[in-house]
Amino acid sequence: MRANPHTMALFLIAGMAGAAWAQQNSPAEALLRHAIQLHQSGDTEAAISEYRAYLKQAPNNVMARSNLGAALSRSGHYEEAIVEYKQALALDPGNVPVRLNLGLAYYKTADLSSAAEQLAAAVKHQPSNRQAIFLLADCHLRLGENKKVIELLSPLEKDSPNDKALIYLLGTALIRDNQLARGQPLVDRILREGDSAEARLLLGTTKMNAQEFAEGLVDLKKAVDLNPQLPDVFSYYGLALLATGDTAAAANAFHKELESNPNDFVANLQSGVLLKQDQKYDEARQSFARALRVRPGDPGVRYQLATLDVMEGNLAQACSQLEQLTTESPGFVEAHVSLATVYYRLQRKADGDKERAVVLKLNAEKQAHEPGAKP
Amino acid sequence: MKAARWVPALAALLLAPAASPFAGDQACAGCHREVAAHFRATPMAQALESVSRCDILSRHATLSFQEGPYKSLLTREGDRTLLTVTDGHDTISAPLLWAFGRGQAGQTYVFERNGILYESRVSFYNALGALDLTMGAQAIKPADLDTAAGRRMDSVGARDCFGCHSTGAVTAGRLHLETITPGVGCESCHGPTAQHLAGVRAGDPKSAALPKLASLGAEETSELCGRCHRTWSQIALSGPRGVNNVRFQPYRLANSRCYDTTDARIRCTACHDPHGPLETNVTSYDSKCAACHSAAAHTRVCPVAKTNCVTCHMPKFELPGAHARFTDHQIRIARPNDPYPN
Repeated sequence: MRANPHTMALFLIAGMAGAAWAQQNSPAEALLRHAIQLHQSGDTEAAISEYRAYLKQAPNNVMARSNLGAALSRSGHYEEAIVEYKQALALDPGNVPVRLNLGLAYYKTADLSSAAEQLAAAVKHQPSNRQAIFLLADCHLRLGENKKVIELLSPLEKDSPNDKALIYLLGTALIRDNQLARGQPLVDRILREGDSAEARLLLGTTKMNAQEFAEGLVDLKKAVDLNPQLPDVFSYYGLALLATGDTAAAANAFHKELESNPNDFVANLQSGVLLKQDQKYDEARQSFARALRVRPGDPGVRYQLATLDVMEGNLAQACSQLEQLTTESPGFVEAHVSLATVYYRLQRKADGDKERAVVLKLNAEKQAHEPGAKP
Repeated sequence: MKAARWVPALAALLLAPAASPFAGDQACAGCHREVAAHFRATPMAQALESVSRCDILSRHATLSFQEGPYKSLLTREGDRTLLTVTDGHDTISAPLLWAFGRGQAGQTYVFERNGILYESRVSFYNALGALDLTMGAQAIKPADLDTAAGRRMDSVGARDCFGCHSTGAVTAGRLHLETITPGVGCESCHGPTAQHLAGVRAGDPKSAALPKLASLGAEETSELCGRCHRTWSQIALSGPRGVNNVRFQPYRLANSRCYDTTDARIRCTACHDPHGPLETNVTSYDSKCAACHSAAAHTRVCPVAKTNCVTCHMPKFELPGAHARFTDHQIRIARPNDPYPN
C-alpha cells in the first residue's frame, strides 16, 4: 500500500522523454533521439552511453541530463543519478519533475532526510501530486517524524475516506504517535475491509504501545504470516518477540526485515543492540552506522554508539558524544547515567557526582508523574 | 586512603570478562590454600548447585504449591527432582537441572524443555520452609501449563543468571553450559587465571600479574561487585524502583551521602570480606563507620550512640515476595516513618 517509487520514476521519465521528440534534427539531436528511443525500449545501459555522448556536446540541456539521471536510476546507479539531477536543477531550479526524481533517487539510497527535503519542495509546487505526497509521508514515517505525516495527510482524509494508502500511512503515524483516539478508527476502517497484514500490523503496533506485548505478538505474527513482504512487518514482530523474551527469534525477525530492506531503521538499531549484548562489537557498530544513515543524528543510535565506546574502553570518544547528547537532550536519562560512569572512569569525580545528581532528579520527576504517584 | 587511579587491568577485566581460559579453583588453591578453603564455605561459592547435589531438595522429598487451577509438585526420586504441573486435566513434567541460591533467602530452579531453559515459577523459601511464587512471577498470571511451570529464559537472561551463579560458563558473551563450574569461584572476580598460572610456572612475573583488586576505589569495587549485585547505572536506568531495589547493594550504597567514588573506606570490601561468610554481628561494623566518623578526625559523630551503628543507619527492609529482610545499604539518618528513599 506504500507509494511505489518505481512506478513513479517511469511516469516521470515517460513525461520527459515525450518532450524530447519535439527537438530539431541536427546530428546532436539525432543522438539524443536515439538515446530516448533506447531508453524507452528498455536498453538502459546503451541509453546512458548515448545520453552521455550527447551531453558532451550540449551540457546545458536539462531534459537530457534529467533523462540520464532517470536511466541511471533505473539501472540502480542512484548516486550517479543524484549528480545528474542536481546538475539539471542547478540549470533549472524550478523544474518540479526533476526535483521529484532527485527525491526518489535519495529515497532509493536511503538518504531519507535529503529525499524528504526534495519531495517537500516538490509538493510545495504541486500540492495535488498524491504520489509525491505519499512518498514524502513515507519518508517522514521512516524518519520517525510521525507528526509531520499527520500534518501532511490529515487535510486529505476528508476527501479520500477510502484511499487505502492514505488510511494506512496516516493510521500508522497516529498509532506510532500514540494518538490512539484518532488512530483507532482508521485501524477499524482497514479491518472492515477484511483481515490483512496491514490491519494486523497496525493492531499489533497499537497493542505494543499499550504495553500489551503478548497480545501484540499474536497480531504481528498473523501480519507476518499474511504478508511477509509488508515493509516494517518483521521489525515490529521482532520488537514484540523482544518484549516477550524471545531474543533469538527477535534477532531472526530483524534479520528477515533487513533481507528485504537493508536500510530499515528499527531492524538495524535493534540488531545492533542484540549484537552488542553478544559482545560482537564490530558488527553492532555496522548496524548502528546503517541506522544512523537512515536517521542522521538520531540520539538513540548515537547513545548506543557511545555505550559501545564505553565497552571498548574508548572513554574520551564516549565522553564527548555523551556530553553532546546530554546538552542537546537534557532529559535523556540513559545518556546522563552513562556519562556519570565515564566521568568516574576518567577520574572526573566532581563531574560524575553532578551527573548522578541529575539522574536522581530526573528519575524522581519521572516517578512523580507515574500512575499512582501521590499528588 | 584513596585509590590513585582507574586500574587498567581491572578495566580490561570489566570490559571483556572471561575472554581467556579458566583454570578452576583447585589450581588457585595450589598456592592460595587458606583463602581458597575459606571462600569455598561461603554462600557465594555455593550460589549454584546441580539438582543431584541439592541439599534443600534432598531434605524435602515432596514440595507442592497451588496457584488457582495449577498445582506444582516437586518430587525427589533418588538424586533427581521432577517438576510436575497439572491443571487437573493435563499434566506436564520436567526434571529440574539446576538450583540457584543456597536457600538463605530462597532457592529457584532451572529446567529444560524442548531445548529451552526455563526458570521455575515456584521457589523454595527458607522462612516458609515451603514453595511460593518466584520473585517477579507475581506480576504475571499463568495463561497455560507451560507458563504455570516456568518462565522461558532468553539467551541474554540465561547467560546473565549462569554468569553470576557459576564460573567459566560464559565466554565471548555466550553461555557454554558444558564448561560450567557451579558457584562463584576465584576467577569470577579475579578473572581467568590460566595465563597467571603459566606465568607463575615460568617464573615470569609480568605474565603472572593479575589485577590488584585490593587497590580499587569505591566506584571501581562497586562496578566489579555490581556485575552481579547490580551497579548504580543498571538500577538507575532500568529499576526496579522503591523497596524492590533494596537487595541491589552497590546502587543503594552509591546513593548514600557519605559515598565517595574514590574513597576506599566506603567500598564494598571495606566492610565485607569477599573471601569469607557474611558477618552478622552488627557490632563488628562499628569500626568501619569509625574509620571516617570520629572525634579524633574532626568529622561528624553520632550524638545518639557509639555502637551498633548499622541498626539505625542501615535499617532492614522486607523485600516483597522474598520472605526475607535485606539491609538497606543507603547509609543515612533514618527516622521512623520516613518513606523508603529511592
